Amino acid sequence: MTKAKTKPPDKRIGLFVCHCGINIAGVVDVERVAEAMKAYPGVSFSTNYVYMCSDPGQQMIIDTIKEKKLDSIIIAACSPTLHEKTFQEAARLAGLNPYQIEIANIREQDSWVHVDKEKATRKAIRIVKGHVEKALKNESLEPIKVDVTRRALVIGGGISGIQAALDIAEHGYEVLLVEKGPSIGGKMIQLSETFPTLDCSQCIMTPKMVEASRHKQIKLLTFHEVESVSGFVGNFKVRIKRKPRYVDETLCNLCGECEKVCPQVVPDEFNMGLSFRKAIYMPFPQAVPGTYTLDAANCLGLSPVRCGKCKDVCEKKAIDYDTKDTFIEESVGAIVIATGYDLYTMQALGEYGGEKYEDVINGLEFERILSASGPSGGVIRRPSDGRIPKSIVFVQCSGSRDTEKHLPYCSKICCMYTAKHAMLYKHRVPDGQATVFYIDVRSGGKSFDEFYQRTVEEDKVLYIRGKVSKIFKEGDKLIVWGADTLTGKKVEVEADMVVLAMAMVKADGVQDLLRRLKIATDIHGFLAEAHPKLRPVESLNAGFFLAGCAHGPKDIPETVSQASAAAAKVGDLFSQSELIHEPITVPVDDEKCSGCGICLSMCPYGARSLDLERRVVTVNEVLCEGCGACAAACPCGAAQQRNQTDEQIFAMVSAMLKG
Amino acid sequence: MKVHYYPGCTLKEKAVALDLSTREAMKLLDVELIEPEGWTCCGAEYPLTEEKIMGLAAPARVLRQVREEGGDVVITTCSFCYAVLKRVNYALQTDALKHKRINAYLKDDIKIDPLTKERTTNFEAYNGEVKVVHLLEYLRDRVGPGKIASRLKRPLRGLKVAPYYGCRLLRPQKELALDEPDNPHIFEEFLKAMGCEAVDYPFKQECCGSYLSVSLPEAAAEASYRVLRAARMNGAQAIAVSCPLCFYNMDKRQAKIREMFLDFPGLPVLFFTQILAWALGVDKGALGLDDHAVPVDKLFEDKRNAEVIL
Repeated sequence: MTKAKTKPPDKRIGLFVCHCGINIAGVVDVERVAEAMKAYPGVSFSTNYVYMCSDPGQQMIIDTIKEKKLDSIIIAACSPTLHEKTFQEAARLAGLNPYQIEIANIREQDSWVHVDKEKATRKAIRIVKGHVEKALKNESLEPIKVDVTRRALVIGGGISGIQAALDIAEHGYEVLLVEKGPSIGGKMIQLSETFPTLDCSQCIMTPKMVEASRHKQIKLLTFHEVESVSGFVGNFKVRIKRKPRYVDETLCNLCGECEKVCPQVVPDEFNMGLSFRKAIYMPFPQAVPGTYTLDAANCLGLSPVRCGKCKDVCEKKAIDYDTKDTFIEESVGAIVIATGYDLYTMQALGEYGGEKYEDVINGLEFERILSASGPSGGVIRRPSDGRIPKSIVFVQCSGSRDTEKHLPYCSKICCMYTAKHAMLYKHRVPDGQATVFYIDVRSGGKSFDEFYQRTVEEDKVLYIRGKVSKIFKEGDKLIVWGADTLTGKKVEVEADMVVLAMAMVKADGVQDLLRRLKIATDIHGFLAEAHPKLRPVESLNAGFFLAGCAHGPKDIPETVSQASAAAAKVGDLFSQSELIHEPITVPVDDEKCSGCGICLSMCPYGARSLDLERRVVTVNEVLCEGCGACAAACPCGAAQQRNQTDEQIFAMVSAMLKG
Repeated sequence: MKVHYYPGCTLKEKAVALDLSTREAMKLLDVELIEPEGWTCCGAEYPLTEEKIMGLAAPARVLRQVREEGGDVVITTCSFCYAVLKRVNYALQTDALKHKRINAYLKDDIKIDPLTKERTTNFEAYNGEVKVVHLLEYLRDRVGPGKIASRLKRPLRGLKVAPYYGCRLLRPQKELALDEPDNPHIFEEFLKAMGCEAVDYPFKQECCGSYLSVSLPEAAAEASYRVLRAARMNGAQAIAVSCPLCFYNMDKRQAKIREMFLDFPGLPVLFFTQILAWALGVDKGALGLDDHAVPVDKLFEDKRNAEVIL
C-alpha cells in the first residue's frame, strides 16, 4: 500500500492481553506485548490480565471502556469462536457498539503452536498490530432484526419426526408433519419387540401415531414430499408435493372391497418383501391415516378400460384415477429433518451370498418374521421353504466397522438387537441353536449389558468372537465360515438361516432433497451437526434441526431424546420476539457495481439478485451469512464485507508484515 | 492384430496344453502373439516381504522388454504370472521407493546391441507403462464378443462347466482389479460365450491348495477335493481353470483325491483355452488332451451327448 497517512488515527483503542493462565503466558511474553503496543498509533490504553473472560476480567474491560472513553477495543486472547460473544456483551454493557470489538487470536494461532518464546512474542505483537489497523476502520453496526413465523415443518414421520412434532405442538406451535410414505410410523412400527425391555414396538408406537394425527396443532401430510425450501431462519417458504393417493382418505371407510378385487399382487414393503400385498392396499392395519392407497406403479393402468375393478366396488366413490400431483406452499420458521436411515444392501456383501440365498436375511426382515403382525404371524419360519429353523447364525457388524471394504463406522444398535433377536429366537424355538459372531459386544446403555448377559447366560446363546468370512449353501443348509479369534481356530457352522446385522446407512431417497436444501452432511451422507459436542441437534444451516438416524445410527431412546431436544430448540427460536441476524454482510456499492452478476453464482445462500433495470446487484441482507465469497469474486470491488473491507485487510497485512 | 504374449515357464513344461491351445485359438482370431525376447521366469510368487526387491526385478525386466519392443499390452494366461506381473507393475506405478530400487537393478542389465555388438548405455526407467492383461480380459475387451461369436464353429451347447478362479486372479483387488473378488463374472461370461452353461458354486474363489502340493500333498488334495466336490454337487460336468498349478492339483492329483475321498466320483479339468480353441474349430489333436490325467476326450465329441459324460 502506497497510500500516505493523511491524519493521525481518530480512534481511542484499548488493548487487553490475556494470559489464559499459562496457555498464552507460558509461551508469549504478554507483558511485553501490552507494553510494546502502548506507543502504537491509535492505541490509547494497553494492559494484560490473567483471565480476561473471568468476571473480574470483564469488569475491568467495562470499567476501562467507560473511564478511558474508549471507542474500540482489542482482546488479544483465544479464538473468536470461543469468546467473541462474551466480550461483545461486555462492550455492550459499557455502552460500546459490539462491532467495535476485535479479537486477536494469540492462543490457537500462536502460543499453542509455537515453542520459541521470543518468536512467539514477536508474532503476537504482529497479530495485534494487524487488528489495530482493522479496528481503526471498524464501523459501528446494528444487528439485523427479522420476524419469526411461529410454525414448524418436520420432515419424516418416523419415531423421531413424530416425537419432534408432538413436542413442538405441545409447546403451543403449529407443526406440519410431512411423510413421503402412505402412513407415518417409519421403521419403528416394523419392529417386533424392543430391547432391553421387550416392549412390543407397535404397542408403544401406535399411541404416538394416533396422538400425532389427532393433535390440533399438527397438520399431518402423508404421501407428501418436500420439493423445495427458500427463505431463511424464521421465514422459510416451503413447497410441498401432494402425491396422488387415488383414494380420498376422507371418504374411505376401510371396507376393504377394493383390495379383494384387485388382481395385482406385489411384494409387501412393510413385511420387507416377505409377503405380498395388492396394488390397492393399506400398508398395515394400524396405518395412520387409516385409508387405502393405490400404488400407481403396480396398478394395471389407472383406467376403467384396463381394469377399474376397485373403482367399481367402492361404494363410497372414494377412488379417483384422475388425481394428479398438486403442490402446496407453506410458511414456516423452523425445519426439523428426521428422514431416517436405510440398511446397507445385501448386494454389497458378495462374501455372504449377495442376495443369492433366500435364507440369508437382514435384521429388519427378521424383525418382521418375529412380529406377531408379520408374514408368519410371529412363528419363526425361514423364507425359502417355511420350515422352522433349528439353527440360526447371527452376524454382527455386517458391513460396519470394515475400513477396507465396507463402512468404517459402528452402527451402534446391532449388538443389542442381535442379542434381542437371539433371545427371542430361543424363547420361541427352545431346542434351536443360536450362534452369534461378534467383534466385540457394545452394550453401553441403561440396562443394556444386563440384557446381553441374560442372552448369554439364561438363554444359552453361543457367542463366538470373530468375523464371518463366507456364507454358502450346501444342500438346504447354509454353511458359515468364520474365525474364532479367542481360540485362533477356523470355525464352520451349519445353519438353517442367517441373520445379518446390517450396517445402517443414509436414507436412500432423501439425498436429493438434502442437496436441494443445501444441508451439510458428513462423508457418509448423515446430517452434520453444528458442533459435535455443544450443538448436537442443530444443523450448520440456521433454522434447521436434526433428529433421529438421519444424523447417524442410534437407538429408540436416543432418537426420542434427540427429537425432544430438537423440538426444544425450535421452541427457543419461536419464543423470541424477533430474530437477530449478524450484520457482517456484504452490501453492494451501486457506483462500482457493473452488474456482471459473478457474485450471484458465488453466493451459496441465494442472497444476491440482479436488478435488471438499474443493472446492479441487490442484496437481501437477511439471507447473507457473511461468508465473503462474493467479495472475493467481485472484479470491481463493489462487494465489500462490512468490517472486512479490502482496505482493512490490506492494512492488516501490511501492518503484520512490517514487523 | 499383434500383441505381446508372456507364456511363463510352466507353460513350456508342465502345462504345455495351456500354451498350445492359446496359440491355436489366437491364430483363429487373427491375433499374432509375440513373445518378448529373452523372457525369464516371473518368479511365480509375489514376494511377501516388503524388503525383497530381487523378486520384483525379473518380472519388471520382462515388462520393460515388452516396452522396449514397442508393446503397450502383454497378455498372460497363467494366473500366477498374471498376478505377479500385474502386481509388480502396480508397485512400479504407485511406490516410489520400489520404483527406484527395481530400476536400479534394471539399470545394471548389460545390453549388447545386436547390430553394433556394443554395449548400450542408454537406460530409461520402467514406470509400469505396459498394461498386463489376462487372456479372459483380452477376449472380452479387445477381441470382443461379436468377433468371437462370428468365429465360433463348435459351441459347446449344454456342457455344464464350473469356472474356477482360484486365489490368484482376483486378489488383492486393488492391485489386480480384474473383477469383483466376491462376486466375479468374467469367467462365467466367457463360458457362456462358448455356448457352455456356467455352473454357479460357492468354491470358485477358494484356494486349490497351491504350493502345499509340495510340502503337504494331503492338504492340497483336501483343498482341491472341496472345490471339485462343490462343482460336481452343483451339476458341473467339467471344471475350467486358468492356472497350471490348479490344474496340477486338481487333475494330476485327482487319483489321489479319489483314493482319499471315496465319495468323490471324479471331474474332468480343462484349461479355459482348450474350450476356446475347440469352440473355434481347432483340431482335437492340437488341444494337448493327452496331457490330462482325468480323461476329457468325451467332452470334445462333435456329436456330444451331455448324458454320456461321467
